[in-house]
Amino acid sequence: MNRRRWLLHIILRALGHRRGRTVLLLAVLAMASSLATALGIVSTSMEKRVAEEVRKYGANLIILPESARLDVGSGGLNFGVVSEPSYLLQQQVENSLAQSGLKAERSFHLRGALQMKAADIMVEGVNFADVRRLFPWWQLKGNWPAAGETVVGNDLATRLKLKPGDTMELTGKNQTVRLRISGIVSSGGEEDGLLFLALPELQQALGLEGQISLVRLMVTAGGDSLKKNAAALQLLLPTAKVSEVRQTARTSEGLLAKVKLLMIMVTAVVLISAGSSVAGTMSTTVLERSKEIGLMKAMGGTRSEVMLIFCGEAAMLGVVGGVAGYICGTVIAQFITKTVFASSAEFIPWFVFVSLGISLFLALLGSIGPMISVFKLDPVRSLRGE
Amino acid sequence: MSENIIETNGLTRNYGDICALKPLDLQVPEGEWLSVMGHSGSGKSTLMNLVGGLDRPSAGSLRVGGKDLLALTEDGLARFRRESVGIIFQQHHMVPYLTAVENVMMAQYFHSVPDEAEARSALERVGLGHRLKNRPGELSGGEQQRVCIARAIINSPKLLLGDEPTGNLDHKSTIMVMELLKELRAEERFTVIMVTHNQEVAAWGDRTIYLDDGVLVREERTAG
Repeated sequence: MNRRRWLLHIILRALGHRRGRTVLLLAVLAMASSLATALGIVSTSMEKRVAEEVRKYGANLIILPESARLDVGSGGLNFGVVSEPSYLLQQQVENSLAQSGLKAERSFHLRGALQMKAADIMVEGVNFADVRRLFPWWQLKGNWPAAGETVVGNDLATRLKLKPGDTMELTGKNQTVRLRISGIVSSGGEEDGLLFLALPELQQALGLEGQISLVRLMVTAGGDSLKKNAAALQLLLPTAKVSEVRQTARTSEGLLAKVKLLMIMVTAVVLISAGSSVAGTMSTTVLERSKEIGLMKAMGGTRSEVMLIFCGEAAMLGVVGGVAGYICGTVIAQFITKTVFASSAEFIPWFVFVSLGISLFLALLGSIGPMISVFKLDPVRSLRGE
Repeated sequence: MSENIIETNGLTRNYGDICALKPLDLQVPEGEWLSVMGHSGSGKSTLMNLVGGLDRPSAGSLRVGGKDLLALTEDGLARFRRESVGIIFQQHHMVPYLTAVENVMMAQYFHSVPDEAEARSALERVGLGHRLKNRPGELSGGEQQRVCIARAIINSPKLLLGDEPTGNLDHKSTIMVMELLKELRAEERFTVIMVTHNQEVAAWGDRTIYLDDGVLVREERTAG
């Protein structure tokens, strides 16, 4: 039998010999690691769920050009404010976003007017792939447009009696575009009165190549708050106005942070009590076995060799407790999310390492103290049971 | 004339204010069976622990098998014990959750590699071929002591130390153990240091020294 197999053999024998205590230690380790695992899984699942919920609200940051404003008045009379349309440079915004390191979904928009049969129609240039990702609640009758096609807002389609398959000719400052309607879109918002076409096509028609009038951002990742992200981005874009769209995201973020803090505190309390329990039991076990330690030393075992056997026992308990903790933790997490949040928890395989780490840490930490004190004794005193 | 396996010069061991072993000069030739006698607290176990590298002297010099034990580190002493010494205790001291054969293999593990066939054969040599798979709790005192003998000789030590190995045995078992030790010593040629307070057991040795209050007071050669 090689040394490694023998070591494993005696570890299993030792644990089997103290079956009651082994089961007790395993139960404590499994309980501690399962709770940490369960709360971790619940927290991660909640975080994803909240992120998904926030995603449903669409963009949570917008970037607008700071428009040129001019107060018009004469004498003591003020006739109001005249503002000229202004634009952002698409490339500059892209560079600033890259520089900020912000993790966000983005959608660039350009709004303007094109003429159809001498009447102005409000048109918005977008990237349809971005729109579909950021505004999943938009409902479409027909198809998303390919090149040379457009989608029309529901209200505008009704007003102009337009339907999928129709073609229309729109004239801009620079050129006239001929478009085929591929679908009618309904968002329930102001978009229902607009006509949508690909951003480059509109930029060309309006003679505004490389310019945009609005950027919608959906910040989904990153620990920083939305407000902080907006402020950071504002510094990089001094000619633009970066604003938060909704408070929902911030509220969810705050709530989630509080729930996470609560979970961390509960886990810490459980780990401290489990750690004390393991340390107490391990301490008793090691002290009871001082004669065995003395005997092993008398047979010629060095401190490290004998310690390896005892640490091996603790590690074995840690591994089994950790695996059991992961399995139980996953089940508990499912139970919590189903009963409290009415949804199912994620299956997160890498949490097995978290569970193992906690269980091993508790098992080794609990036994290392008493081991050091017993291992300091010479074999004669250990054999006398001192 | 064989060389001395043990040489002590002014060997002393104090425990705080108590002097358990007063300066002792002792030579033990290789292959000798030395019995150490004395009353409780006379220093005989202290001497055995020092010679076996289980304890460190307070003063003096101590060479065993050519090694200066005072110069060895903690790990060096452990290596010395596993390579050169076999120890039999009065209390047996077996690992309770291991079988007889596994207890013998434990000594092999610390020495080199556990070999079940060798461990079985050692137990067969001490007449326990039928008790290989029994745990200490299932063995009589005499049987446990024979397991300890097998464990002590499994790594072919130069020095076999016995700390009252028959102290807990009845007369019949004592005779059986002593005969076994005599037989094994004849085969293996190891040196024996046997601590005892039993005159009959001491008589199995080649020479007996008497300690009293940590002082060697007398020594005599065994007749025949």
